[in-house]
Amino acid sequence: MGFPVEKKQGFSVVVLNGDVDLSRSPDARRAIMKSLKKMHNVLVDMSAVDYIDSSGVASLVEGFQYARSNSLEFGLTGVSEAAMNVLRLARLDQVFPIYASLDERLATGA
Amino acid sequence: MATMGAAIEPTGDPVVDVRNLSATYTGRPVLEDVSLQVRQGEIMVIMGGSGSGKSTLLRCLLGLHRPRAGLVRLFGQDIGGLGTRQWAVLRKKMGVAFQGGALFNSMSVGENVCLPLREHTRLDHTTMRIMSRMKLEMVNLGGFEHLMPAQLSGGMLKRAALARALVMDPGLLFFDEPSAGLDTVVAADLDELILRIRNAMQISLVVVTHELESAFKIADRITVLDQGRILMTGSVAELRTSSIPRVQQLLTRTYEEQPLDTEAYLRRLTDIVD
Amino acid sequence: MHTLALRVFTEQLGRRVAGGVEDFGHAAMLLGESLFWLLLGRWWHQPVRLRAIVDEMMQVGVLAIPVVSILAFANGAMMAMQGIYTLRQFGAESQVVASVATAVTREFGVLIAGIIVAARSGSAIAARIGTMQMSQEIDALRVMGISPVRYLVAPMLVALTLMMPLLTVLSDSLAMVGAGLISMIELKISFGTFLQQVWLALTPGDIWQGLAKSLVFGVLIALIAASNGFNASLGAEGLGRATTRSVVLCISAIVVADMIFTFFLIL
Repeated sequence: MGFPVEKKQGFSVVVLNGDVDLSRSPDARRAIMKSLKKMHNVLVDMSAVDYIDSSGVASLVEGFQYARSNSLEFGLTGVSEAAMNVLRLARLDQVFPIYASLDERLATGA
Repeated sequence: MATMGAAIEPTGDPVVDVRNLSATYTGRPVLEDVSLQVRQGEIMVIMGGSGSGKSTLLRCLLGLHRPRAGLVRLFGQDIGGLGTRQWAVLRKKMGVAFQGGALFNSMSVGENVCLPLREHTRLDHTTMRIMSRMKLEMVNLGGFEHLMPAQLSGGMLKRAALARALVMDPGLLFFDEPSAGLDTVVAADLDELILRIRNAMQISLVVVTHELESAFKIADRITVLDQGRILMTGSVAELRTSSIPRVQQLLTRTYEEQPLDTEAYLRRLTDIVD
Repeated sequence: MHTLALRVFTEQLGRRVAGGVEDFGHAAMLLGESLFWLLLGRWWHQPVRLRAIVDEMMQVGVLAIPVVSILAFANGAMMAMQGIYTLRQFGAESQVVASVATAVTREFGVLIAGIIVAARSGSAIAARIGTMQMSQEIDALRVMGISPVRYLVAPMLVALTLMMPLLTVLSDSLAMVGAGLISMIELKISFGTFLQQVWLALTPGDIWQGLAKSLVFGVLIALIAASNGFNASLGAEGLGRATTRSVVLCISAIVVADMIFTFFLIL
């Protein structure tokens, strides 16, 4: 089962949900990388994520790195507390651009 | 920064459940009627001197030694009756850091950490590499992935082994003698790391050690093994105030002679061992 | 006094026999488990890795090429010299090429390859597995849900059964080169003539016999070396003993198997 990708305000929004674990993180990675390879700016909507393991986080890291080396934007929105804990553990909360929502990202301009 | 919060409140069914376990090693009884439970998110330290049976207990828990009697449940599953395939599924939920690290000498540190992922998942190579680097960062070994195990110090070996044990995000971690063979500063760092990882990953830990200091620092509860039997199980405070003489002896490291069973002693001296 | 000596002797004999049976059982188990992983591993998502097999082929086979070449060449030359000396007494030295050719392809080519591989890999494999046993690397594999037999033994078994026939062909060829050189000098024949005589003397059966043996030798070396490694007792001394024992048993097994083979194939 893949993850939906929505076009909103010039962003490709990849909507993750449920458990992003070993069995589903390859789908998440595919969705993220596909949008980035089309040279879209990507936001990952994580508000519906119940659990994300390190394979899921690794997919986010790979996407972020790809976006940076191709001068694209990559950010996370609506990061749930559970997901935030995992990011904090890897100290990635300081690395990713994290927004409350798409609107917040738009409000910051640029 | 990971917060060094209070211990997570243990909830739910025990992750490790040992009932009336008895085991022999090369024919000699080494464990007698051992029962213990490890709860979700708890650090259980199994403590005892050499010959206390703690190593055999660990091997029984890991399914490496078949007990003579009794029951071991991990995540609610009786490991005595598991088939190869069920074991394989269960193994992915547990990580083990062995005493000397037990890293594969023919592989680099990075390859060692990556091995469980390579063998058990079909993740993309980049994903696997990022995952193993994340775990190496977590144990403060970032940038060391290209070194070979032979180039690492004792403390680094243990941390690398810890990274490998954690790479699949297990719910249960076994750590054999984390502080053995390390100087006190390095050992204290490793204890700190264990606590941080437990708090961040909400993982259950079984730590086997003979070091009092380390045990007191990390344990939620301690099980004291002596000559194959459990002397007591309790919190650090309970252990300190225990009225069991043998426990107090172990705490103060005094050695008092055991009451001598002359008959058995004579037999041990004169019996011809084949 | 005599009864005591007898008792000690029978006890030791009994223990040896029991140990031997146990070894045999263990080796058979390793074979069964290896075959299981080779056949069904992929289906269980635990395949025997091609890369591991290739690595092992390099270790047990390719790196043995120089030694096998030199010894096979020397052996071929010696057999030709001895043959010429012996047959000259009957005025039959022209038969030397035929006799050396059959003896090498059926017997000595494969035996040399087998003994060298046993000496090199029989010890190396036992030492490696024994060391891994001691450093708890085998336990680490088990608790990771990786079967040590699939991961360590199966690739080695495949590598040895693939490389032994290839080394045997190499060994046969170089022995023939050695014998050919001596024949050129002593019998004053050209190398072309020598090869022609070899060609006439050999039947496909001769070559098959050698190759069939080489497969069996490969399996024997892999299983005996691995089971000695797994059974190594703790400590450096135990490791040393296991390694020595492995080489001795591998070579003995090869020679005995060879004899049994020859017995049934020739008589």
